[in-house]
Amino acid sequence: MNHDDWLAALTGELRRHGVGPDLTGHVVAEAATHLAESGEPPLRVFGPPEAYARAVADSLGGPDQRPPRRRPGPVRLAAQGVTKRYRGRTVLDRVDLTVRAGEIAAVVGANGAGKSTFLRICAGLLSPDSGTVRIDGTLGYCPQDGGTAEFLDPDEHFVLVGAGRGLSRRTARRDGRVKAAALDWTPPAGTQARHLSGGTRQKLNLVLAGLGEPDVLLLDEPYQGFDRGTYLDFWHEVWRWRDAGKAIVVVTHLLNQLDRVDIVLDLTASRERVA
Amino acid sequence: MTKVLVVAESALRELLRRRSVLVILLLLPLAFYLSRRGDHLGQSIRFVCLGLGWALSTAALFAGSAARGIEPRLRLSGYRSAHLVFGRLLALWTVGVLLSMPYYVLILVDQHDVRYGAIALIMALTVVVAAPFGLLLSAVLPRELEGTLVLLTVVGLQMVMDPADSVTRALPFWFSREIGTYAIDHTDGGYLTRGLTQGIAFAVVLTLLVTVAAAVRLRQRRHLRFA
Repeated sequence: MNHDDWLAALTGELRRHGVGPDLTGHVVAEAATHLAESGEPPLRVFGPPEAYARAVADSLGGPDQRPPRRRPGPVRLAAQGVTKRYRGRTVLDRVDLTVRAGEIAAVVGANGAGKSTFLRICAGLLSPDSGTVRIDGTLGYCPQDGGTAEFLDPDEHFVLVGAGRGLSRRTARRDGRVKAAALDWTPPAGTQARHLSGGTRQKLNLVLAGLGEPDVLLLDEPYQGFDRGTYLDFWHEVWRWRDAGKAIVVVTHLLNQLDRVDIVLDLTASRERVA
Repeated sequence: MTKVLVVAESALRELLRRRSVLVILLLLPLAFYLSRRGDHLGQSIRFVCLGLGWALSTAALFAGSAARGIEPRLRLSGYRSAHLVFGRLLALWTVGVLLSMPYYVLILVDQHDVRYGAIALIMALTVVVAAPFGLLLSAVLPRELEGTLVLLTVVGLQMVMDPADSVTRALPFWFSREIGTYAIDHTDGGYLTRGLTQGIAFAVVLTLLVTVAAAVRLRQRRHLRFA
């Protein structure tokens, strides 16, 4: 691993450990200077980037995984009295959810609790038996699976979805690649979606959901197949979206994420509580 | 218009990357042609046109089924259902024209004393009808196997039924037999008129039905309101 690769890996790991951009820049610059002056290989001087980043984060008293809350903005998504029955069984019973700009809502519940059904209703892909959903702004949706075209490569996906949002080819490709980089992914040119791994395909799915900067993002367990680093990158991206004033709804069954969000909608109990 | 062209370009890329499917599509009409090449030259023209229709309908059926996963996302991204339908139709029509050209050249070289203009007309109508027909089947029958069986039935009936029987006019490729008779047997213009009328009517109706089916499937649900 040469200096540049090691420094790039260190930058990513520091970000994943919750070290802020200013401090990351400072640590990386200091390490680069030391390496340039010593001429020694970085692995011998500092060890693996992940271990060094962890040591830096620990020395700062542990990562701050919870960015400061900002004052939420206007209501972007308002679901009221959403009820859905399948073959006589009530899956969703008068579910309410209100998400404002700058808020993250987690939809949790046991298997079969209707999490994905609720999100599909919010996206307008499925009709409820009763209830309404009001969206203020544009909508981005990341399905649990599917949502990509098998025989198109990532850049072609960016162009296709971007055109719907009114983006030019160049802008769509550039924006797609910038969003992919935030997930530590460089989309390979010419590799069709069917040849991507499950986790990488989900990265593509997530990037497509955020393309064109929609005001409301509906994410249905988008991290399936992600490795640990990408999983952390995903949450950083979600926080960045929140800081940018977007309203985000994430379906999840991983309860350790709940302290990272503003609203929790537990469909097991069909009730809403503020985190 | 940009949105239609982008959808068409993407659909065309997807179709052209299914290389093994393309080879089969290209060879299928040839098999139809050669099956009657020995005993009845004129009949081989009718069969190759049916083969083209079957090949393109099948391609449209599979393209429509494959698009089901991404179309809701595209709809949410700002496309109208009509953008998606006409983009895909444009791609399929382009593939149909490319598919037909070598067979038209083959007929020019291999067949004599036939009305070549009428044969070109059959091929053009076949392309125009087959694409929405396959897309409509994919819209109505979400499983590809069911759609393929329906296609098989339609083309099989088209081959074995007497074209003079009025029931056969309800089949989408009836025009190819009718105009084929005009082109091969040098009959009067009535065959051409009847075939042309049926072909155009089917093209218009099938295209309308595909558009309506997509509009219904990808409609904005009434419970969802945008402020």
